[in-house]
Amino acid sequence: MQKGLIKVTTGYERFVHWMLAISCLLLCFTGMGMMYKELNFFGAIFGGLKGLKVVHNYTAIAFGVALVLAIQMWWKEAGVFVFPEDWEWFKTAGGYLWHVDKVAETGKYNPGQKMFFLTVAFFGMVMIGSGFFMLYPQYISANLLDWMYPLHALGFLVIFAFFFVHLYLGTIGNPGTVQAMFTGWVTRAWLKKQHPGWLREMEHEGTLTVSNGK
Amino acid sequence: MTNHYIDMRNSDCILIMGSNAAEHHPMAFKWMLKAKERGATLIHVDPRYTRTSARCDFHVPLRSGTDIAFLGGMINYILQNNLYFKEYVLNYTNASFIIGKDYTFNNGLFSGYDAAKRKYDKATWVLEKDEKGVSKRDMTLSNPRCVFQMMKKHYSRYTLDKVSAITGVSKENLLKVYKAYSATTGPHKAGTEAYALGWTHHSVGSQNIRTMSIIQLLLGNMGIAGGGINAMRGEPNVQGSTDQAILYGNLPGYLKMPSASADTLEHYLKKYTPESKDPQSANYYQNYPKFFVSYLMSLFDNKATKENNFGYDWMPKMDDGKHYSTMHMFDAMYAGKVKGYFCVGADTAVSTPNSNKVRKAMQNLDWLVGENIFNNETYEFWRGPGVDPKKIKTECFLLPAAATMEKEGSQSNSGRMIQWKYKAAEAPGDGLPVGEIEIKIMAAVKKLYQKEGGPNAAAITSLYWDYLDGKGHFDALKVSKRLNGVFLKDTVIEDKAKKTTTLYKKGQCVPGFGNLKDDGSTASGNWVHSGSFLADGTNLMARRGKDDPTGLGIYPNWAFVWPMNRRVMYNRASCDINGKPYNPKRAILEWKGDKWVGDVPDGPWPPMADKEKGKLPFIMKTDGIASLFGPGMVDGPFPEHYEPLEGPLAKNPMSGQLINPAIEIFKSDMDKVARASEKFPYVCTTYSCTEHWCTGALTRWQAWLLEAMPAAYMEIGEPLAKEKGIKNGERIKVSSVRGSTTCVAMVTKRFKPFTIEGKTVHQVGMPFNYGWLFPKDTKDDSTNMLTPTVGDANTFCPEYKAFMVNVEKA
Amino acid sequence: MNNNTEIVKLIDTTLCTACRGCQVACKQWNELPGLPTKQTGSYQNPPDLQWNTWTLIRFQEYEDKDGKFQWLFRKDGCMHCTDASCVKVCPSGSLYYTPNKTVGIDRSKCIGCKECVAACPFNVPKYDKATDKVYKCNLCYSRIQENLPPACVKSCLTGALSIGPKDEMLKKAYAKVEKLGGDANVYGDKFVGGTHVIYILQFKPEVYDELPVSPKVPQSIFVWKDLFKPLSLVAAGGVVGGALLHYILHGPKRPDPADNITPNDKK
Repeated sequence: MQKGLIKVTTGYERFVHWMLAISCLLLCFTGMGMMYKELNFFGAIFGGLKGLKVVHNYTAIAFGVALVLAIQMWWKEAGVFVFPEDWEWFKTAGGYLWHVDKVAETGKYNPGQKMFFLTVAFFGMVMIGSGFFMLYPQYISANLLDWMYPLHALGFLVIFAFFFVHLYLGTIGNPGTVQAMFTGWVTRAWLKKQHPGWLREMEHEGTLTVSNGK
Repeated sequence: MTNHYIDMRNSDCILIMGSNAAEHHPMAFKWMLKAKERGATLIHVDPRYTRTSARCDFHVPLRSGTDIAFLGGMINYILQNNLYFKEYVLNYTNASFIIGKDYTFNNGLFSGYDAAKRKYDKATWVLEKDEKGVSKRDMTLSNPRCVFQMMKKHYSRYTLDKVSAITGVSKENLLKVYKAYSATTGPHKAGTEAYALGWTHHSVGSQNIRTMSIIQLLLGNMGIAGGGINAMRGEPNVQGSTDQAILYGNLPGYLKMPSASADTLEHYLKKYTPESKDPQSANYYQNYPKFFVSYLMSLFDNKATKENNFGYDWMPKMDDGKHYSTMHMFDAMYAGKVKGYFCVGADTAVSTPNSNKVRKAMQNLDWLVGENIFNNETYEFWRGPGVDPKKIKTECFLLPAAATMEKEGSQSNSGRMIQWKYKAAEAPGDGLPVGEIEIKIMAAVKKLYQKEGGPNAAAITSLYWDYLDGKGHFDALKVSKRLNGVFLKDTVIEDKAKKTTTLYKKGQCVPGFGNLKDDGSTASGNWVHSGSFLADGTNLMARRGKDDPTGLGIYPNWAFVWPMNRRVMYNRASCDINGKPYNPKRAILEWKGDKWVGDVPDGPWPPMADKEKGKLPFIMKTDGIASLFGPGMVDGPFPEHYEPLEGPLAKNPMSGQLINPAIEIFKSDMDKVARASEKFPYVCTTYSCTEHWCTGALTRWQAWLLEAMPAAYMEIGEPLAKEKGIKNGERIKVSSVRGSTTCVAMVTKRFKPFTIEGKTVHQVGMPFNYGWLFPKDTKDDSTNMLTPTVGDANTFCPEYKAFMVNVEKA
Repeated sequence: MNNNTEIVKLIDTTLCTACRGCQVACKQWNELPGLPTKQTGSYQNPPDLQWNTWTLIRFQEYEDKDGKFQWLFRKDGCMHCTDASCVKVCPSGSLYYTPNKTVGIDRSKCIGCKECVAACPFNVPKYDKATDKVYKCNLCYSRIQENLPPACVKSCLTGALSIGPKDEMLKKAYAKVEKLGGDANVYGDKFVGGTHVIYILQFKPEVYDELPVSPKVPQSIFVWKDLFKPLSLVAAGGVVGGALLHYILHGPKRPDPADNITPNDKK
């Protein structure tokens, strides 16, 4: 391993992230196979549309578990905005949209990431909830049941769109990011650029783990 | 039926009373609805609002067992308001005849009553004859002893107030029905009546129908298209089985079962062959000897000769005055006098009244043989509820029978139409047509008698028994041809009208009952079936011609209708005395100067205006005309209201006779009666439902039907349910003085309480389609645990329709 | 009847005797089993449409405001809508429009998602857990293709059920309603694009149990299928496009390699 890399994620964090990510993607994929007639052929992979449904329903369990773990794990750090610092970040849109001389310094998670987390957390719950009643319609009134379907679709709309935002920002939009979720080690430069506040904090508190190159 | 199903559509007003036609005769009801679409009025008179009521113009509830009061009121209404069809009544009924001077009617009793025997001596129920022996008539109808005046007097007692107090029908509703129905009087309107078990299941069953006959004759509704009295007979082939003598007093074709006093053929024929001195009366039953001797020939064939009275002496004879109905049979079985029992296609442990007694009676049997397509409560009586199989010594057999679709043969519908049908499938397993089972058993019995002899052995050894086909199977065609009749020797028949002579070879079919002979040259197992085959053996029952020349739905080339393909009985009465149809728009028959055109007429003779050759229209009646005064009945020449054996009243509001004086009272220790009792305060009636047949012995095994009607229930009006704290769907116990059963309460708006003699009387009703054997988890038993052993005075048809019960939460 | 004619099954409730011949004939033709039921104090059994009961006679004891009593019978079952919610929501193409404009069901394609169960304004499709599939009347499409009437129509004695070209049946229905007068009305032709099962009702629709007065494709389905479904693609596409544009115009956020040296190292 390259010397001087900084550890930013634990194995547990990465496990939860990927469990959530993979189940979510699988749900999007299987869901789309059912939602769009043109994509019914997705079913072929699972031995037919019915297989698709079964995979979708069981994956939802994994997704639900991962979601709960993720929320429990990240709630304190990524679920709460800190003012006025985060407000400063918002005012410049994190420097993503127009040229900003100085982006507000952010901690472990910038408000954009927090927004993403909250969106996934909230709409993830919406998906689990609405999906549950779609599977077990007997537990809900017919009128409410009718609205579970558009709600599920709305959840998909948001999560699916945010997925691409996440994908872009986690890869080519912010080079050097993706390692955080593969190896857990990032360069100091990346951390300085993306989360200078957190870097300073860790340095200040002496909690920084730096690879020794072995 | 005097008419036929399709003819219902020709009616202007249909009174459905004693029938739940929509539920039990849906095919017949179809044609009633066609009449309604045409503008006819449909009236349903029934204790309960049913699926039939739902489709009628109006429903009028009446208390079970009060139909004669209701109809008696209608007779009174018609007579008081001069609504009768005078020309018809004068010419075609015995209204103008004079009743013998010794006939009386007093406080509910007709003359000649023997209280000890509960029986009438009918010697005084006669019509006066002139010196030539022809009935005397008063065409002015003013003679106080004429039938018309005596009838008017008899029914003048059936006032609206009285009828309303007995039946529980409001006066408005009585008038509504009376007005609507009597509007069918006269030549241009037709009214018909549809009844079924709702009329026959009473201790006054036959008289219920008689009362309606009187109304139909007064209004001129007999013999016409859209008229008549129409018994709705069902899928169990009631019409066919009755034609073939299911009743103990009949032989096939409604010939009489001999009794001991008719010890010789000569005596027998003298007793049952009516004589008429009226030259205008065809008195068709004067041919009785031809039908009867041909019947004997069908049984004994070449063993029957003039010398041995055509085998008459071999015929079993009933004891005079004794009866042999199902109820009598079980009564005797209960007394230990019956040792063996063949129960074919029946479930008597469920279907016979007072089932407790029936099941107890069966324990006295040495052997029981069942023949059926399914097992049932009768064949399993030895391990029924409360029975210890170890203590039953009866040996039981169950022979698997073929279902109706698994055999060829004829089926008769209510319109007397005999239709041939073919086998659709093989019977599963060892199943055989019942006919084949009987032939095999009888062949074996015959062999035993030939070998070992026995009492009256010749009756059995002489029996003609050739009904198998070449392969040893039951041959339905062979049986049917024998019923139709065959020539036993070469015969030449001359047709004087057509001036032809035809030679019929020995063995050829008889073309009609007109060709039957009393000299032993013809054999016919059932004279009314004669004509169902052509002489060349063509099976007319298998015809499927769809032409309808009259446009009245007669379809003369579809199958065969007895007698002689006549679709409307007494059809000569649809024309005036000159043979001109009363209603040219619905002319089923017309005299064209030299012949009748239309339906097959009641005989070829000209109409009665031709004093020389003409004949009166009701050719089966001795006098040639219809009976308003009917001395043929055992319980009175004019129908009279009596309460059911078990009813809510202690006194008959009409007379001092509470119950029908001529019914037989069964006296075993299990035949209890609780009349006007506080312990059993509710009138109960029993019925079937569309989804099941009879005891349900066939239909309860059918998953689709059981799903639709899974278990026994009792329909209870909302007020009574409230009073008893019974909620819809709750389990209840129903009991009579004889027994009890359980079921589910169906609380409904369709039963309303009656006001009888100023008091509220609740009525409830239960289907009789269930038993303990199946469905498997059933906790309920037969409804007939409740019903009394009593029957109609004339037919012994049990009184399933009116008795008293109590209802409580189970 | 041409094989592609738009057909309508007419149910004249004023001729129905509730004999339930149709209920049984349906099971016979479609090979549906009879299942155990309970007597609950009603003739109506099974109590509702269910996977093995595609048509059901509903029994209703109705007393109008004047106390006049009428026992109402209504044959319930699929209405075969022109704008069928079930077809709209069916993900697999199991539910489809036949050439006769009725709604067919190809059960081999059904995945048991129950979306049609929730969507149907008449509460008709029924789910069976054992086979994980949904069942409903297909107006005996197999018989229609052979120019035979559906089993229910074939079994009907009284003429309460009839089937034929849409215009003929509607004409017949309106003629009957005019003859009946009063509150009699034709039910079915005025909503969901017109149903292919039409009732002649003696009373106003609101009188009848379980019969919606003005059934429609639920609003939620439009939001779902016509709004969110396409919008999902638009949004996702927008994001992908936006990201590319961002990459090109704004460029990625690259870390400064100089920052890889820790402050301590600089010293």
